[in-house]
Amino acid sequence: MKVPFEWLSEFVVIDMYPQDLAAKLTMCGLEVEGTEEQVPSFEGVVVGKVIGIDKHPDAENLVLCMVDAGMEILPIVCGAKNVAVGDKVALATVGAKLKDGLVVEKKKVRGIESLGMLCSERELGLSDDHSGIFILPEECKAGHWLHEEAFINDVILDINIPPNRGDCLSMYGIAREVGSILGQRAKTPIFSLETDTQQKVKDHISLKVLDADACPRYVLRMISGISIGTSPFWMRNRLIKCGMRPINTIVDVTNYVMLELGQPLHAFDYHRIRGKRIEVRLADKETAFRTLDGQEQKLREGDILICDGEGPVALAGIMGGENSEISGTTEDVALESAYFNPLYIRKTTRRLGIKSEASLRFEKGIDIDNVGLAAERAIFLMNQLSGGTVMKGEREVHTKKELKTMFITYSHINGLLGTHIPQEDITKILRSIDIHIKKESEEGLLTTIPNFRHDINEPADIVEEISRLYGYDRIPATRPVSALSGQKRSPREVSLNAAKEFFKGAGFFELINFAFFSEKDVENFLVLPADERASFVPIVNPISREYAVMRTFIAPGMLKAIAYNINRGAKNLRFFEKGKAFFLSGEGKPYERTAFCFAMTGREAEFFWRDKYSDYDFFDVKGIMEGLMGVLGVTFSLRKTAEPFLNPQRGADILVDGVQAGWIGELREEVLKSYEIEQSTYCAELQFDIILQKVKLEARYRPIPRFPQVTRDFSFFIDDTVPVGVLTDKIRGVSPLITSVGIFDMFSKEKKSVSFRVIFQSYEDTLTDEEVNRLQETIIKELTNINGISLRA
Amino acid sequence: MDIGALQKRVDKELSSIKTIDDVRKAKVSLLGRKGIFSEYIENIKLLDKGERKGAGQAINALKLHTESKLREFEDFYGEEEKKKREAASRIDITMPGKMPLAGKRHPLTQTLDEMIRIFTSLGFSVAEGPDIELEYYNFEALNIPADHPARDMQDTFYIKDGIVLRTHTSPVQIRVMETQLPPVKIIAPGTVYRCDNDISHTPMFHQVEGLMVDKNVRFSDLKGILSMFVQDMFGKDTPLRFRPSYFPFTEPSAEVDIGCVICGGTGCRVCKDTGWIEIIGSGMVHPQVFRNVGYDQEEITGFAFGMGVERIAMIRYGIDDIRQFYYNDIRFLSQF
Ligand SMILES: [Zn+2]
Repeated sequence: MKVPFEWLSEFVVIDMYPQDLAAKLTMCGLEVEGTEEQVPSFEGVVVGKVIGIDKHPDAENLVLCMVDAGMEILPIVCGAKNVAVGDKVALATVGAKLKDGLVVEKKKVRGIESLGMLCSERELGLSDDHSGIFILPEECKAGHWLHEEAFINDVILDINIPPNRGDCLSMYGIAREVGSILGQRAKTPIFSLETDTQQKVKDHISLKVLDADACPRYVLRMISGISIGTSPFWMRNRLIKCGMRPINTIVDVTNYVMLELGQPLHAFDYHRIRGKRIEVRLADKETAFRTLDGQEQKLREGDILICDGEGPVALAGIMGGENSEISGTTEDVALESAYFNPLYIRKTTRRLGIKSEASLRFEKGIDIDNVGLAAERAIFLMNQLSGGTVMKGEREVHTKKELKTMFITYSHINGLLGTHIPQEDITKILRSIDIHIKKESEEGLLTTIPNFRHDINEPADIVEEISRLYGYDRIPATRPVSALSGQKRSPREVSLNAAKEFFKGAGFFELINFAFFSEKDVENFLVLPADERASFVPIVNPISREYAVMRTFIAPGMLKAIAYNINRGAKNLRFFEKGKAFFLSGEGKPYERTAFCFAMTGREAEFFWRDKYSDYDFFDVKGIMEGLMGVLGVTFSLRKTAEPFLNPQRGADILVDGVQAGWIGELREEVLKSYEIEQSTYCAELQFDIILQKVKLEARYRPIPRFPQVTRDFSFFIDDTVPVGVLTDKIRGVSPLITSVGIFDMFSKEKKSVSFRVIFQSYEDTLTDEEVNRLQETIIKELTNINGISLRA
Repeated sequence: MDIGALQKRVDKELSSIKTIDDVRKAKVSLLGRKGIFSEYIENIKLLDKGERKGAGQAINALKLHTESKLREFEDFYGEEEKKKREAASRIDITMPGKMPLAGKRHPLTQTLDEMIRIFTSLGFSVAEGPDIELEYYNFEALNIPADHPARDMQDTFYIKDGIVLRTHTSPVQIRVMETQLPPVKIIAPGTVYRCDNDISHTPMFHQVEGLMVDKNVRFSDLKGILSMFVQDMFGKDTPLRFRPSYFPFTEPSAEVDIGCVICGGTGCRVCKDTGWIEIIGSGMVHPQVFRNVGYDQEEITGFAFGMGVERIAMIRYGIDDIRQFYYNDIRFLSQF
């Protein structure tokens, strides 16, 4: 909320710079987000008092004004018609600078010397009004700077009012806080209302409130015979500083008093109130109603309506109706000042999606005790600005409620805060914010809470008040009594971290994608409708079509990132991501799974002057998978895949203990093309929760063998139909003395030749040639027994 | 036995040595197994007993002399040879080196890991909860009823009636307290969602939520723990302040500001000229939250706090645009 410092100073004496006050407010819970200095767009303009007006001898349209500029009386030739003797005006003396840069000079107008000029609001850059000279309020002092006297110079505090502090949504409300900080009591505006003794409100209108819960207080006041016009500068200036647009003398007053006292008001054109009666009730059926913004609203049961003799005239607390709106020709006004139950207002605004400055305040709860004062204040100002006659009395319905009382102990306060605030300080703080102390005892205080503090409902709320006004910086920083022993991370976290560290070490960059994707991504990956990955969770209110559903797997995001980087010139990429995938689960809450995805495309590096690089292929991505599983201590196997997005020749399912835990391989060309990727890309995705069950991270020491190892090489011709991976396992299975089987060569001429290097190692003694020879024979026999394998000489 | 001939032979061989190869050859022909000395020594046996001793001594002396000479030559020509080899091994050391492949963790997870490290060292353990959350856990249980004004503070993604994408990691608090009796000391890192997408908001971001509930947990302890965190994360001398604020699930509530690291407190765009940057929301757990999970609020108290990982990372690395975290641009990722 925007709070002009000048206006705020009307309620409390602020003996400090606005910036210093801002700092104090911030530290007491009203965060000042900014202080905006307002400076005039003119220089050297003072307040002048017109002490005489003569006709210009040579020009019919001009007059010669004698203007008191404080130290001297100046002759000013002027063409405006709205100036009268005694008026305070904006006087630009010789040398003054106006808004558009014009410098005022001494000059002769048709033979008469003029030592300055009287200015319109437009000439001063204050508004677009150029209909006459800017007439100032009576209390402005002649000869003083205009920008100081008319509060054009000001500092506007932008205060972030916490959502529970509706009581601070007014100048008076803020002033109350300032007062409690500065040890003062904020003053309400002082004015005296003169009413007509003949015309009485009760003779002109009747009032009935049918639901006291929805509307515990309603006040009607009336003014008649007004003439609506433009509000004076001081009021418009304050409204504008607070971010509101001035409209006319009636609407401006309702807004002004709302800003001043926090009470939203509504002005009805009295003549448009049918049956001359007002009834406050809850809507009992669906009704259509046109609010004054021209919108047709569908009212429902439970909305609070203000009705006249025939039907609704306002949607209570939110917006008036078109049918009773005041206009430029309105002569008699019925003014509503009321308290509506916040719960009702919130329900209605949420449903209709309309918000107004009024509803904002009603929703948070206003001060029920201020309803009458605000009505008086507004009717007084209307009278000042629009003339007319204030009718005597008011119509009022007020269902009074007991004040909230609360008992709070000193030990609760100091125990919760970790402080030793003395009892007298506590009482002093509470009194400064109008919390009344009914009874004091050894243990604590019985308090009553003023009606405007809707946020104080239990002792903890009182502790908050004490703590913020005592000062958070005065509360010590302590170590909790319970021990701060370090915590171990769970096996799940340790495994996730081990996996991430593996990828980092293997030259992969970690990505974080949004957990959303689109239906299109599922299509792009050729996923069939029956596939789990097609049962994605849609978002009711997504930010865009691209992010309309929750992702069911990570790979599409991976491809988007790859495409993004390729488009920016990076072609060699290794990425991984850990994240969640989400799936529909019948009628229930969707379920979530953690997944790991990694991808590689291009090659290790674009070039190195000494070496040549080849493009990544299946064995690069498989090697990463082997490395990852190695780090986690998980054994896995590959199986022919049916994943629709993988090249079936270069893809596989990943099995862990016979359970499918993911997939790996080259993505199909058409899938890549959907993401505008033209280079071969290998990718794998794993369901982490399946892997996690098999993770073995604890390291166990095994003695280093003391005996030499023996190495033997074997070469076989092997038919393409025989998978070599199986043979490696077969060889390893021949004897526990075989500690390693590697493939060091493979080539195809007429037949495919594969060479294995086998390492034999005993932990018990040195292997003899005979032993190794025997094992060698077994290996050869085992392999050549298989169809399609023969020993290469 | 002609010792003189042997002497001549040795002199001749030694004087003709010009390279390390010549040294090696001379070694073989003179001192080798089939060399001239072996031949002479062998021949000593053929001499008369009386001559043997003298001849032996003469040959031996000559051999020792030869050996030492050869060693001299070896050292000399060996050194020369090594110098030549080194000279020939010249490369242009200004050519680029070959770097091993090295990946990087995302700056957000690096930051998150650091945060987790600090809090686990202070005795907090890590708890997790679902991203797709019941509206009850996300709001009502945290004292944010349906028509509460605070609901408007967070733009919620809806999955369906009663189910939302969590707007904060605070629901984990509730889930933990519903299943565990005090004392509770957890942090809940995780992904959260709000339908907001502009220069300073991404629809998904990360938070770390913390909760400590026990007998006699005080507001001053909250100040203590968060001060320790800030000092560990941003440095011992980081200015910090606690400022009253409002959250529906804490009372009293506090916002924690640290001195602006960009301008050092003199005021800049990042800190909106205040010299302070907001980094943590916190407070004492609201009694209603305890009632909602069935804790006896007469017996225990607690504090909770929450902070954005993106914000901390932005301050840590001086990143000025939150969206950078989600472009996955390698030119960004490789900087951290
Ligand atoms: Zn700064």
